[in-house]
Amino acid sequence: MRPTRDNLTLMIRSPIVCSSVLMATLAAPLTSQQPAAPQERDFLSRIRRLTVDGRRAGEGYWSPDGQRIVFQSEREPGNPFYQIYVLDLLTGDTKRISPGLGKTTCAFFRPGTDEIAFASTHADPKSKQFQEEELAFRASGKERRYSWDYDPEMDIYAYSERAGALKRLTTARGYDAEGSYSPDGRWIAFSSMRDAYNRPLDDTGKKMLEENPSYFAEIYIMRADGSGQRRLTNVAGYDGGPFFTPDGTRIVWRRFDEQGLIADIWTMKLDGTEQKQITDFGSMSWAPYMHPSGQYIIFSSNKFGFENFELFLVDAQGTKEPVRVTNSDGFDGLPVPSPDGKTLAWTSSRSGGAAGQLFLAQWNHEKALEAIRNAPARTKK
Amino acid sequence: MNSRLIRVASVTAIAWASIAVGHALQGPRATSNTRTHVETLASPRLDGRLAGSDGERLASDYIVSELRRIGARPLPGHGDYLIPFEFTAGTRDGGTSITVSGLRPAARTFAARSDVQALSFSDNADVTSSLVFAGYGIVVPESQDFGYDSYAGLDVKDKIVLVLRYFPEDADTKTKQMLARYADLRYKALAARQRGAKAMLVVTGPRSPNAGETIPMSFDTALAGSGIVAASVSGTVANAMFAVLLGRTLEATQRELDSGNPHVAGFAFPDDVTMTVHAAVVREKQTGHNIVAYLPATGSTDGVVKPWVALGAHYDHLGRGTGGNSLAQKGEAGQAHVGADDNASGSAAVLAAAAVLAGQPRRRNVLLSWWSGEELGLLGSSAFVATPPVAIDQIAAYFNFDMVGRMQDNKLTIQAVGTSASWARFIEQANVVAGFDLLLQQDPYQPTDVASFNLAGVPCLNFFTGTHVDYHRPTDTADKINYEDLDRIVTFAVSIVRRVEDANEAPQFVKVDQQVQPGGGRAAVRLFTGTIPDYSTEAKGLLLSGVIGGGPAEQAGLQKGDVIVEIAGQSITNIYDYTYALEVLKVGVPAKVVYMRNGQRRETMLTPAARR
Ligand SMILES: [Zn+2]
Repeated sequence: MRPTRDNLTLMIRSPIVCSSVLMATLAAPLTSQQPAAPQERDFLSRIRRLTVDGRRAGEGYWSPDGQRIVFQSEREPGNPFYQIYVLDLLTGDTKRISPGLGKTTCAFFRPGTDEIAFASTHADPKSKQFQEEELAFRASGKERRYSWDYDPEMDIYAYSERAGALKRLTTARGYDAEGSYSPDGRWIAFSSMRDAYNRPLDDTGKKMLEENPSYFAEIYIMRADGSGQRRLTNVAGYDGGPFFTPDGTRIVWRRFDEQGLIADIWTMKLDGTEQKQITDFGSMSWAPYMHPSGQYIIFSSNKFGFENFELFLVDAQGTKEPVRVTNSDGFDGLPVPSPDGKTLAWTSSRSGGAAGQLFLAQWNHEKALEAIRNAPARTKK
Repeated sequence: MNSRLIRVASVTAIAWASIAVGHALQGPRATSNTRTHVETLASPRLDGRLAGSDGERLASDYIVSELRRIGARPLPGHGDYLIPFEFTAGTRDGGTSITVSGLRPAARTFAARSDVQALSFSDNADVTSSLVFAGYGIVVPESQDFGYDSYAGLDVKDKIVLVLRYFPEDADTKTKQMLARYADLRYKALAARQRGAKAMLVVTGPRSPNAGETIPMSFDTALAGSGIVAASVSGTVANAMFAVLLGRTLEATQRELDSGNPHVAGFAFPDDVTMTVHAAVVREKQTGHNIVAYLPATGSTDGVVKPWVALGAHYDHLGRGTGGNSLAQKGEAGQAHVGADDNASGSAAVLAAAAVLAGQPRRRNVLLSWWSGEELGLLGSSAFVATPPVAIDQIAAYFNFDMVGRMQDNKLTIQAVGTSASWARFIEQANVVAGFDLLLQQDPYQPTDVASFNLAGVPCLNFFTGTHVDYHRPTDTADKINYEDLDRIVTFAVSIVRRVEDANEAPQFVKVDQQVQPGGGRAAVRLFTGTIPDYSTEAKGLLLSGVIGGGPAEQAGLQKGDVIVEIAGQSITNIYDYTYALEVLKVGVPAKVVYMRNGQRRETMLTPAARR
């Protein structure tokens, strides 16, 4: 899966992070060196909140015609976990397309078809039990940070809207999720932790699997029917959140370091060659998505405050320093431009509370290009 | 009816006619009349639409004429759209006096208002008894685990208690913050009554602001008697009483108490000093008028659960602002507070929504209401739910509009969302099409009529576009209304109303627990800072939607958009923190304020002024 804010929050709260780093980051002056830096309202106008129902919602991805959005939300009665919903932007109607049982995440429309892929644990016979345990825990009034547990029973499915049927695409032991289709609908790039299960682990590896399973996550590709699964990355640390570029020639994703603290944006060809680092931002930069123009990537980073994720822009080649887009309290992440490039969907906690909801805003493409032109060249570290 | 009123009425009617004609000339595209509604209701001729005034009558005339045009009817069994209710329009002292016997050389009677004045919530009665001094008269509830009880060890049963106003002046900040919450005069009166006292007298100590002065009677409409005689006395009176006690002065006694030490005890005056309190509060009664109409269901309501939905807005405002809720600046005082946003905008929204709903099929009856007396304490809506002309449990939902004319940046606040689990779904669905940047607040205990319906167990929502610098000032005028977005709000609300109206089931009511409000609250705040908090945003810190011109905040360089994060070393994360922090500041003593502006942390010094 592409991490939601919740599992990132969990990560940044892990004991490795010392609070003094947090304070130092927060105290740093944010805008002193660039007085004429563009403001949030230069990029985003007519901000609107898209989801209201349920504890949290996020990861909204557009249908190819731009009239619907598929997203995940905790709103199913009796199930405390995310389920997948399709929202019609013309009528406001929302329909659940996932089984309703277990956990799900990371949906994506398959272009040219009636299929929507997402990851789900519903095949796990323990799903109902986990739901009840979580509900009982919440009912007890205890507070715990929601945690994404990289459920090893998570597998990728394709749902046919016409048939109302699910087809299972992955079966490997280990978390398989974060799938997205190529623009021609023939391929799925995804993230998998199968590498933790398909070979004997030494003691260090076993400990890692217990404490930080995402360490084993790598990017894979398969055909839309699930055949021909192939591994593309081979570097320690969480590789995840892959999306195809609009021309279908490359994959953009984020790569964490081994400690899971620093992440940067990368691109590569579909066969895993020509891996290229786009950002060197010294922070947790993730959830990259390329604008349909192919000219730049929008992503999220905590550059300006350890828990303050904001949206940024970077040119597709990574020659410039990233440009800040949002400037709001709380979380802004998981940006996804509409197919026509004129609207941005993203997940934000800007309207208060800890949990994110989906937002839409008009996207100023010209301003984005101008800001990238004016950005300083990327400094090599 | 007097002749002046007739003349004003006819002039206004002509004005309405001409405006309406002008509007009609714009052709069929001009579907919304919200501008006409607001301009008419916020016309200076209506003189601020004070409840019970001629202005209220003129406003109701206009709304009723619009109801006739729309085709809405008076409620079944009512010949008229107006439903009157009686309320207390004001209080004044009707001759309160105190006689102290046992004083040397002789008994003395105090009857001047500068010496004794009833508190507005006092019972009217004569009480004679001996006297007990009970310090600051503050009792912190045991649940707070704080251990402060001015009555510890005192027997005040059937006695008259004398207490100091405010809270200990020299206590540390934490103690002050705690005690200030329970220092409101009503709270002190309640504490005295619960311990059996017959009367409570309050003196403003020599070491406090407004030292020695009696407390001006506040405009207090909500409650009549509070079950105890309560009055303030001057320093002169208190000193005369202390004079009988060898070796004690009020000042020295206050000084001892001012450390906040919970073990400094009160004491009884000698038994031979008795006192008679004659308390007389005159409460002036007036009549306000709710306007209530309905659009009947277009089919049979048989089998429809709770066959009513209700929309409402208060149409009254502050008149000329003499009642105490005005924020008029110097130079504006006494002018008509025309209340374009508050709440001609909401009144217009209900009219516009009614016009739309009138043209559509309806499975439920739509109740349309315009409340009076909101600004005086939700009087009209409270009267409605107390003696409802339509059974309250037959109302599926209530939608309130209060200040919906100042939308900025597409931001719309919806309050009372916690009153039904259905709201999130309805709001989400409607907003996908409407496209607002929504801020949702679960809390239904809002300072507007939605609170009355929440207390009556009706699922409800309030629409709100936020406070602004013109709030409760004569400058809240019709030209500043954002009509385009007001119309969008109407369309959005109508789509939610229609979803409720069309459903078989009614939304389930959820009782939201009231946030524990400090006993002190706003009444205990005796400072004026000139800040206008933005209640619609849940920013970390206190976002200012403006500052009062010439006030301390403006003088300190604060401005709209600043976020206060610290005052006098107290970190501020919300409006409550802010209120508590204010309580421990001192009049005339500069306090450091830390605030964020454009992401930068800044500091300034703010010198609070006194609030009388
Ligand atoms: Zn008001």
